[in-house]
Amino acid sequence: MTPDRFEDHVWKDVVPDDLLEIYAPYTRATSVGPNPALLLIDLYNLAYQGGPVSPLDLQDTYPSSCGIYAHQAIAPTRQLIAAARAAGIPVIYCTGDTAPMAAPKDVSATRRKMSPRRAADFQIWHDFAPQDGDVIIRKQRASIFAGTPLISHLTKLGVQSVIVCGESTSGCVRASCVDAYSNGFKVSLVEECTFDRHELIHKINLFDLHHKYADVMAVDEVVDHLSGISAQAAAAE
Amino acid sequence: MTERIWDKFLTDRDKAVFDASGFGATAEWGKRPALLVIDVNYAFCDEKPVPILDSIKTWRTSCGEDAWEAMPVLQRLIHLCRGKGVPVIYTTGTRRADNWDSGSWSWKNSRRSEDASPMTTSHGHDGNDIVDEIAPAPQDIVVLKQKPSGFAGTPLHSYLQLLGCDSVIVTGTTTSGCVRATVLDAFSLNFRVTVVEDGCFDRAQSSHAINLCDMHAKYANVYHSDVVAEHLQGLRAGMFELPSGMGISAKAAE
Repeated sequence: MTPDRFEDHVWKDVVPDDLLEIYAPYTRATSVGPNPALLLIDLYNLAYQGGPVSPLDLQDTYPSSCGIYAHQAIAPTRQLIAAARAAGIPVIYCTGDTAPMAAPKDVSATRRKMSPRRAADFQIWHDFAPQDGDVIIRKQRASIFAGTPLISHLTKLGVQSVIVCGESTSGCVRASCVDAYSNGFKVSLVEECTFDRHELIHKINLFDLHHKYADVMAVDEVVDHLSGISAQAAAAE
Repeated sequence: MTERIWDKFLTDRDKAVFDASGFGATAEWGKRPALLVIDVNYAFCDEKPVPILDSIKTWRTSCGEDAWEAMPVLQRLIHLCRGKGVPVIYTTGTRRADNWDSGSWSWKNSRRSEDASPMTTSHGHDGNDIVDEIAPAPQDIVVLKQKPSGFAGTPLHSYLQLLGCDSVIVTGTTTSGCVRATVLDAFSLNFRVTVVEDGCFDRAQSSHAINLCDMHAKYANVYHSDVVAEHLQGLRAGMFELPSGMGISAKAAE
């Protein structure tokens, strides 16, 4: 995306002009970096439970669900994963580590009160079922990098940039983007495939990440880029 | 196979075990290496070749004359890498003036208290300064560390990632300490690892040999510098986007 459309994103309606002015020096062209991998953050069942309704209405039944926001992201995320598979880039999932006796009490990705962890809740949502050859990282904290072998896998795969999506924007997505950036990766974050429990926090966190650590991009733009990789691979054969 | 530096330290059973268990196979080099020069500073080398038992009276961590035997090897490989635009990354120690952050280092050496009054060379160099004979050039990278591994608590891995390196060629000191720790972490991170046999040195000659043996068995290809030089000569020049080095000399001169 060219610099003139740098602020053409979902946060437009909540970010005031004075804030845009303060953040003007971050303006730049956005893109996907070289040798990318797709990181799918926490697309597990817990985020979708209760169906496409307001998370507020799920507070008592499924307090970890992102409800409508999770379900709205299903179609574009399917499109993104299909494009990544066609391009032959590594597809890497993460989910909560539910192995028994793996962590001391109170080790979790956030400080919220959680009901006991059930393995079924942390299986990947059926629309995005992992395939042979994919990698699933089991993590105990917010970032996909924290205490996991991810970085050694990325080094082995020759990955130099990451395309990130999933949930929650303010939690595990944000932590993973910042760690990817700190570890020397170019980060692209896919807007329609990233979600949280409330629009405001989603938008402001995307705004932060876009300016400081990641290129927030529209799913169509990322899919176009990945199609280019597929076409190049086909032409080389 | 020609005699390796560690052969004379191994028992017949050891040799039979290595042969039978498949360790020590030659791995691929990798395509995009960085040269790592671990801790070749005055504290480990002294100012000139001095017999080690004399040298350690002044510099308790000195490796004595063995350091200076490796120096021409280091000069040759560094020169080759700069010529090809292959990243040259040095590590050396860093410490608060009051030595509080020596941490676990203070637990295992009876002369550690000497570090409370840091020494300098006759030319005013700090013990942690990299020796002038292989001084970093402006486009080289220097990583400051506090623990054995060049990766522990440093940005080294993010630099290798940014450069797109898939392998490291490791030199420096001590073979049994910081070189081995760095090699092990590089291996754990899935980098291809080469160790330069005559580009590494240690205080103890047996430790040097046995640690090279261990690393060659499990984590790295341990090669003589002639083999490494030939490999470097075969690399395409200009593969890396190195630091420009602009302004570094001026800053260093301040």
